[in-house]
Amino acid sequence: MAPLLDVQNLSTSIKLTSSTVHAVDNVSLRVGKGETLGIVGESGCGKSVTGLSIMGLLPPGGAVTGGSIKLNGRELVGLQKEEVRRIRGNQIAMIFQDPLTSLDPTKTIGYQVAEPVRLHRNVSRKAALDRAVEVLGLAGVPQPRERLDNYPHQLSGGLRQRVMIAMALACEPELLIADEPTTALDVTIQAQILALLRDLKERLGMAILLITHDMGVVAGHTDRVCVMYAGQVVETSGVVPLFRETRHPYTRALLASIPRFRQGRENALPAIPGLPPDLSRPPRGCRFAARCFRATEKCRAEEPPLTGPTSAHRYSCWHPLNEPRTLAVSGVDVSGTTGTDLVAPDARSPRTADGIRTSATEHKPETATANGDREGPLLDLRNLVKEYPVGSNAVLRRNAARVKAVSDVSFSMPAGTTFGLVGESGCGKTTIGKMIVALERPDSGSVTFGGVDVAKLRRAELRRERRDLQLVFQDSHSSLDPRMRIGSIIAEPLHAQHWGSRQARRERVFELLAEVGLPKNTVERYPHEFSGGQRQRIGLARALSLNPRLIVLDEPVSALDVSIRAQMLNLMTRLQASHGLTYLVVSHDLTVVRHLADRIGVMYLGKLVEIGSGSDIYERPAHPYTAGLIAAIPLPSPAAEHAKKEPAITGELPSPVHPPSGCRFRTRCRFAQERCAVEEPEPRSFGPGHLAACHFPLRTATPPETTADFAG
Amino acid sequence: MSVLVVIGVSIFVFALLHVIYPSPARDVLGLRAPQMAVDAWNKAHGYDDPAAVQYLRYVKDLLHGNLGYSYIENQSVLALFEGRMARSAYMSGISLALAVLIAIPLGVFQAVKRNSIGDLVVTSTAFTLYSMPVFFLGLLLIQVFALSLPVFSFQASQSTSLLTVIADWHAMTLPIATMTLISVAAFSRYMRSSSMDVLAQDYIRVARAKGLPERLVLLRHLVRNASLPIVTLVGLSLPQLLTGNLITEQLFNYPGLGLLFFDSLKKADYPVLLAYTQAAAILVVAGNLIADIALSIADPRIRLR
Amino acid sequence: MWSMFFPFGRRRATEDRADEPVLDRRPLPLRRATGNRLAVIGFAMLIFFLLFSFVGPLVYRTNQDVISLVDANQPPSAAHLLGTDANGFDQLGRLMKGGQTSLEIGLFAAVVAVTIGTLWGTVAALSNKTVDSIMMRVVDVFLSVPFLFVVLILAVTFVPSVLSLSLVIGGFSWQVPARLVHSEVLILREQDFISAARIAGTPPWRLIIRHLVPNTLGVVIVNMTFQVADAILAVAYVGFLGFGLQFPDVDWGDMLSDGMQYMQAGYWWLVYPAGVCIVLTVVALNFIGDAARDATDVRLRHR
Repeated sequence: MAPLLDVQNLSTSIKLTSSTVHAVDNVSLRVGKGETLGIVGESGCGKSVTGLSIMGLLPPGGAVTGGSIKLNGRELVGLQKEEVRRIRGNQIAMIFQDPLTSLDPTKTIGYQVAEPVRLHRNVSRKAALDRAVEVLGLAGVPQPRERLDNYPHQLSGGLRQRVMIAMALACEPELLIADEPTTALDVTIQAQILALLRDLKERLGMAILLITHDMGVVAGHTDRVCVMYAGQVVETSGVVPLFRETRHPYTRALLASIPRFRQGRENALPAIPGLPPDLSRPPRGCRFAARCFRATEKCRAEEPPLTGPTSAHRYSCWHPLNEPRTLAVSGVDVSGTTGTDLVAPDARSPRTADGIRTSATEHKPETATANGDREGPLLDLRNLVKEYPVGSNAVLRRNAARVKAVSDVSFSMPAGTTFGLVGESGCGKTTIGKMIVALERPDSGSVTFGGVDVAKLRRAELRRERRDLQLVFQDSHSSLDPRMRIGSIIAEPLHAQHWGSRQARRERVFELLAEVGLPKNTVERYPHEFSGGQRQRIGLARALSLNPRLIVLDEPVSALDVSIRAQMLNLMTRLQASHGLTYLVVSHDLTVVRHLADRIGVMYLGKLVEIGSGSDIYERPAHPYTAGLIAAIPLPSPAAEHAKKEPAITGELPSPVHPPSGCRFRTRCRFAQERCAVEEPEPRSFGPGHLAACHFPLRTATPPETTADFAG
Repeated sequence: MSVLVVIGVSIFVFALLHVIYPSPARDVLGLRAPQMAVDAWNKAHGYDDPAAVQYLRYVKDLLHGNLGYSYIENQSVLALFEGRMARSAYMSGISLALAVLIAIPLGVFQAVKRNSIGDLVVTSTAFTLYSMPVFFLGLLLIQVFALSLPVFSFQASQSTSLLTVIADWHAMTLPIATMTLISVAAFSRYMRSSSMDVLAQDYIRVARAKGLPERLVLLRHLVRNASLPIVTLVGLSLPQLLTGNLITEQLFNYPGLGLLFFDSLKKADYPVLLAYTQAAAILVVAGNLIADIALSIADPRIRLR
Repeated sequence: MWSMFFPFGRRRATEDRADEPVLDRRPLPLRRATGNRLAVIGFAMLIFFLLFSFVGPLVYRTNQDVISLVDANQPPSAAHLLGTDANGFDQLGRLMKGGQTSLEIGLFAAVVAVTIGTLWGTVAALSNKTVDSIMMRVVDVFLSVPFLFVVLILAVTFVPSVLSLSLVIGGFSWQVPARLVHSEVLILREQDFISAARIAGTPPWRLIIRHLVPNTLGVVIVNMTFQVADAILAVAYVGFLGFGLQFPDVDWGDMLSDGMQYMQAGYWWLVYPAGVCIVLTVVALNFIGDAARDATDVRLRHR
C-alpha cells in the first residue's frame, strides 16, 4: 500500500545574510493512512523545517533544494503555488506551538474556524459556521456556539489550542502536522490536548505528523518515530522497538539524559557533552561524532548511511549499540557502567563520575540535616500572603481586583537540603522565590532565614543578609545585562558587598568560572555571545560568588534542551555537594524537581496542597491534584504511556483573581463534594513529614483526623 | 486623562500670553499713552487682577466659546477664525485622508516586497520626503507643475466659498499634494515596519496554512492588525499636520487659519496667535482621544478588556 | 569611526569566532546589512557638511560683510561659483555661513532637548506612581501644543540669536526623548538583571550608573540624531517664515525664503542650493539615526 505521505531525500536550506543554513539534509520519511509519525529532536535539528517544507510554508530565504514530497502519490515539490494552496488547510493541516500568537487577535473565533471551510468547500457562510460549531465541539471546546463571537484573548491557552485544532480539522484533512502542539501549555492541559489528538485520530482516521522535543510525548502518542539530529534522521523505527532496542548512541543518550521518576539524585545524569554542530557549516562524517563516546576515525570521515536489518528499524551509525538496553524506565536505575559510558571522556573532567556519585549520596536528607538540627531550620516561611492589583491603573482604584498570587503558605527547610516547589503556571511558586530573596515583600507573614525575618530588615541589614541569599533566574537572556562583560557580571555581587581587592575579585571570578565549567576568556565577552546553557552557568557563577547559604533556583533548566539540561542538573548537584549549599528549586517540571529535591511542596493556585519527601509525593501522593499532576507527565516509555487512559485532571485553571471557595482545586477534582466548596481543608499528616490538605485524600491519614502544619 | 491635559494646555497658553503680552492696553491706547492711562485701562478691564483670577476668567471665556479679542484688527478672534476654519479643515482633512489611504497599501506593499527594487525606490523616496522641509517640497512642486509645466496654479484658491474652493482643483492640487506627500512619507515608513512585524506573527503563518491565497492573507489578517499602530500615529502627528498647514498656506497664499497666524505674527497680534495655539492644542488632544476611541473599536483586545 | 559613536557596538560572536557555535539562527533583515552602508553614507555626508560649513570659509574666502548691489543676483561664474544674492554676497560663501548657524543650532538644540528629556524621563520612571503620572501628564501637555507655533511666537517677541533659538527649540522638543527614556527605564526596571543586581546588594546609585545608563544610552543617542535633524528643520521653518536670525546672520531657511521671490525670474541658484543643503543634511542624520536604531534594537530586544 502506498503511504499517504512519502518524503524522499528532502533537503531544505535557509539563506541568511551571511550564510546558508542546511536545516534539513537528505531526510526520508513516510506516514501511512491513519498513522502517527513522531519526529523528535532538540531545537535546531530541523524537525520544524521538515514540517514547514511539507506545507510549503518555509520562512523567507528558505527553499527545498532537493528530494521529493508525495502526498497520495502526487508530487508536491515544484507544484504551482495555487495547487499547493488548495492542498493546504484542506488535505494537510497544521497546528503550531504557541496558541497565544497563532490566532488573529482582531477576528472572532467563528470567523477564523469557518474561514478554511468557506475557502475549500465553497459553502454558505451559515453552513461554514455550522461546521465551525461542529469541529469546535469535536475539539472539546465547551458551548461551541457561544464561542463563535468570542475573540482569542477571551480564551485561555488550552482553549485556544483547541480552537487551533478545530481550525485544522475543519476540512477533514488526511494529514495533520502538529508542531510542538503542547510545548507552551501546562502539563495537565498538555495531557488533555494529547489525549484529544489521539482520540481524533482514531475517530476521523487521519494521519498525524507529531513534531516534538519530548520523548515522553513520543512514547505515548505515536506509532512510529524518526529521531532527528543536526538536520538528518539518525534513527527510525516503530515506537516500541525504538525504546526497547535503541541503536543510535544519540537516541540512547537523549533517553538517558531525562531524569527519571523513581530515581532520586543518587546518580549523576548521563549528559551529552558539547553542543550540536553549526548547520551553516555541517561537519564531515557523522554529525554526532563530536559528542559521541563511540566515535572513531571512520565516524569523523565518512557519513554513515541510514540502514538497518529491516526496513522498519533503520539507523545511521557505524557503531550501533547492539546490547539490550539497560536504561529502563520503570524502576531500573542507570547502571554505573552505562551511565559513565555515555559521557565522553573529555566531558567528565575535571570531575570524575565517582566523585559525583559519592558526594550526591552524602547529601541525602538524613545526613544533610545535621547542621539544621542544631540551629533549627535555615529557612522558615510562615503564613505568607502576596496579592497583586490587576490592571494598569490600579493605584487610583482602591478596590481593584487583586490576583491572589500566594495565599497563606508555610513551610520550612533545614540547611544543606533541597526543597522543590512544583506547580503549574500561576500557582505562585515564583512569587514565593522572590519573597525569599526579598525582591518582593509579603503582604503578611514572615520569611525567617537563619533566625532573621528577611521581610522586616532595614536596607543596610538586608544588604548584608543578601550575601547568604541568592537567586538563579529562569530567563538567562534577561538576567544578564547585555551591556556588561561576563567578568563584571559575575563580580557584581562581590563589588556590591565590598568583597576583597580588585585583584582578589578577579581571582575569584576565574575560580567561579572554573567551577561552572567555563573557560577563563569568558570574562572579556558579552552575554549574547553565549548559548542558553552557558548563560545559565554564568548566572549560577554569579549566585555562587559570595558563597551564599541558600540559592533559590527559579526554573533553572526549563529553557534548555534535554541534553544541555542534564549537564546543568549535574553541575547544580555537584556544586551543592562541594559547597554545602541549600537549594530551593522552583519548577513546573516534576521530573526536574524529583531529580534535585529532598522534599517537595506541591502548589495549586497560591496554596500549598501537599508536602513530603520525593517518594512520598511520587509514590504515595495523598492529594488528588498531586496524583493528577504526576499522571499527566508523559513518560519516556511506550508501555507506561499506553497504560494511561483518560487525562487525570480535566478542565481549565480558574482565575487567580477569584479563586474557588473552600478547596481551590475542587472545580477540577474528581472527588469533590459539597464540603470542599464550603470548608477549606486543613493539612493532615500521612506519615513522617508527609502532609496534604484535602478532605477526601487518596490515602488514609496517619493518625487519622489530626491536623498539622505544613511548616511543622 | 484628556481633561487634565486640556487644563494643562490652557494653563500653559495662558501663562505664555500673560508673560509676553500682559495687557492689550498699549495696542488700544497707542504707544505714547501715559502710564496712568494704561494703569487705568488695565484696572477697568481687570488686567491688574492676580494671575489666578485672570486665568479663571480666561477659562470661563474659553468655555463660552470666546477666544479673545484682537485689538489690532478690532474684531473678536472668533470672527477672524470663521470662514477660514472651514478652508483649513478642508485642506488638512483631505490631505490626511489621502495620506492614510495611500500610505497603508504602500506600506503593506513595501513589507511584502521588502528589499525589492520597488521597496527600495519607495523607501528612499519616502526617506527624502520625510527629511524635506514642507516649503521646499512645495517649491519643487511649484517649479515642476506650475512653472516648468504649467498644469496647476502656484497660488491656491482665494475664494471665500468652500464649494468653489473644492471645485477648483487647478488651484488646490499642489497645496493638497504637498501636505499629503509629507504625511505619506511618515505614515508609510511606520506602516512598512508595522506590516513587517505582523508578517512575522504566527497567525499569518496559520492563515497561509489554511490555504488562503496571499491576497486574502494580507487583506483579512495583515491590513487591520498592521494599521492599528497607525491609528495612534495619526493622532500623534496632528501637531505636525497643523505646522504643515501653516507653511503650506503661507507658501500657496491660501487664506486659512495658518495664513492668519502668519499675518498675525507679522503684526504681533498676540490674542490671535495664542487663541490659535490654544485651539490647535485642544484639537490635538481631541485628535488623540478620537484615535484612542478608534483604536478601541478596531482592536477587540482593548474594547473587551 | 562607528565605535567612536557607539562604544557599545560590538562584534558579533559569529562573525569572527569560527570555533563558536552559531547561536542565533534567525534570518536577519537585509536592512541591517544595508543599514550599515547607509550609516556610512550618512556619516560621510554629515562630515562633508561640517567641513563645508566650518572649514570651507577658510579655503573659499568671500565677502560676507559689505553689501555690494553692483554684484547683486549674478548667475554662477568663475568668480562666484554659485552666483550672488540680492545683496551681492557670494552665494556659496553664504551657504557655508548659513550652514554654520543651522548646524550649530541643530546640535545645540538637540543637546538641550535630549538632556532635559533624559533627566525628566528617568526621574519620572524612578519616582513613585503619583509623581510619575504627574510628570508624564506634563509631557502630554507639551506634546499637545504644536511647538513650532510657540517657537514662532517667541521668535517674534525676542530677537532671535543662535543661542536663544537653540534654547527655545530645545526647550520645546524634549518631550519625545522624555517619553522614550521613560518607557525604556520602566522596561529596564523590570528586567531580571536589575533584580539580580538588587539581590547582590547593589545600591541604587550604582544600579543607575552601571545598568540603567549604559542600557538607555543607545536610545538616547539614536534619538539625539533625530533631534538634530528635527531642529535643523525647525530652524529652516522659522527662517523661511522670516522670523529667523537677524541680518547679517543667516541660515539656510532664511536664504531659501529670500530667494523665493526670484523663482519666476529663474534665479535658481538662490533657491535650490539652500534647499538641497537642508534636505541632504537631514537625510544624512536620519540615515545615521535609523541605522543606529536598528543596531541597538537588535541587541536590546534580542529575543
